Amino acid sequence: MKSNLIVALGICVLSTAALVGQESRPWPPQKLSDGQPDVQGIWAATMAGSTSLTNPISGGEDFDQRVSGKEIKRPSRIIDPPDGQLPYQPWAAARQKQEEKDYEHPTRPEHIDTQHRCLLSGIPRLYTIVPAYKIVQTPGQVIFIWDEYHAYRVIPLDNRPHPASNVKLWMGDGRGHWEGNTLVVDTTNVRGARLTYIGDFYTDNAHVTERMTFNDANTMTYEATVTDPTVFTRPWTMRIVHKRRPDDEVWENSCWEGNVNPDVWLDKK
Amino acid sequence: MRLWFPSLLVVAAFSSAQPSAARAQAIPRTADGKPDLSGIWQVLNTAAWDIQDHAAQKGAPGGPGVVEGNEIPYTPAALAQKKKNYEQRATLDPETRCYLPGVPHITYMPYPFQIVQKPTEVTILYEYVHTVRYIFTNNTPHPKGPIEWWLGDSRGRWEGDTLVVDVVHFNDQTWFDRAGNFHSEALHVVERYTPTDADHITYAVTIEDPTVFTRPWNMSMVLYRHKEKNFQLYEYECYGFDFEKIYPYPDLGAAR
Repeated sequence: MKSNLIVALGICVLSTAALVGQESRPWPPQKLSDGQPDVQGIWAATMAGSTSLTNPISGGEDFDQRVSGKEIKRPSRIIDPPDGQLPYQPWAAARQKQEEKDYEHPTRPEHIDTQHRCLLSGIPRLYTIVPAYKIVQTPGQVIFIWDEYHAYRVIPLDNRPHPASNVKLWMGDGRGHWEGNTLVVDTTNVRGARLTYIGDFYTDNAHVTERMTFNDANTMTYEATVTDPTVFTRPWTMRIVHKRRPDDEVWENSCWEGNVNPDVWLDKK
Repeated sequence: MRLWFPSLLVVAAFSSAQPSAARAQAIPRTADGKPDLSGIWQVLNTAAWDIQDHAAQKGAPGGPGVVEGNEIPYTPAALAQKKKNYEQRATLDPETRCYLPGVPHITYMPYPFQIVQKPTEVTILYEYVHTVRYIFTNNTPHPKGPIEWWLGDSRGRWEGDTLVVDVVHFNDQTWFDRAGNFHSEALHVVERYTPTDADHITYAVTIEDPTVFTRPWNMSMVLYRHKEKNFQLYEYECYGFDFEKIYPYPDLGAAR
């Protein structure tokens, strides 16, 4: 698919940038006026990509494997359950397989992944994509702004209540607090969404708890625990490491504006 | 809240010296003494429908315009284009396609936006199509270009208590409103954000585009702070292509 090529090019550019991104920053981090550890700047996931959580090959590797026919295996991002698999209920496992087929051979507009339509991918999916994001902190809040999709989330730290449960947001509604150098975010009010290109999904009954642990000035370990009794037999947890990038200016990234009628994407065979 | 602590001090000092000014809370300030524009803001006008004086129509509220003097100095050819845009607005209006709406149009869309102010950068997060705009306030020049961006390139500086933002590098794909007022890629916008007290910003804009207008012209309006308890931005993911009918997918209404 065209998107695989674009992702592959993105990885080439970003992996070069990673080498020059390790600027000297104080560690332990400086404290901001409201006591938050200062972790501001530009960050991106390592080994990133939305292909799969259980075999998280990059878009480039996905392309290679399609060309060569040789399967590429990567360690699962799922750290709990210990077998590294998503604990689907039987009906949901069948649904994921169907979704994977729909993605490969889309015949209806809804088969096209929301990422390819430039819609918001939500949480935790946006922490698995290749493009970088920016963290900005001001008193009482942490803000994440993604380069891609001009997605953002504002996370208040004042323990205010979530909106009413009928409010479904593409980015969910996050409430955070700091435990030392770990930002813990409780996210509710999500919309049901795909989590990967191979059809993994949760429903709008999902509840996501994230733990973003800043290990040193340039490294953050992102963990998300997803609880969705509609789809899974138990909660599961994924992990992906993020690295700091150079503090370059972020320029406009319009994605939606290239949107075309979904008919041109559909498999007519 | 810590954010407001400096401003409270200023109010206390101010009100003892000048009792008449105590009614309006003084402008919050950052550690370096600049006005602190941080917060959630929104206009209370109908400029998104028409930036000039206009009566109500079905589905469109009427109201006074925001153009100083009300007249927009179009060249004769551009005026003809504007009239055509107006007549065919149901199909031609770029807003119907959910594009990023340009500057200053994004400011007076009828949705709230949040200003996040740092010494070297002012970020504005808009609820409408989750638009993000960075205004660089670190004395850097515009990139050389030519560049055609939906929101242009924004470089800001402080003139007293006014944040002056110079914006260039636009495309010609956005309108100023739903009434067909338009510009070319030669658009040059200067925005002036002047807080008048803790909860109001005077937003003045100069529009320059020699291919469409015979002279520069101005807009002016007020930005109001949202003061509701726990007010926050939601989302307006614009629904072009009937996306609301197909996502979320899989639709698990039956499974729930």
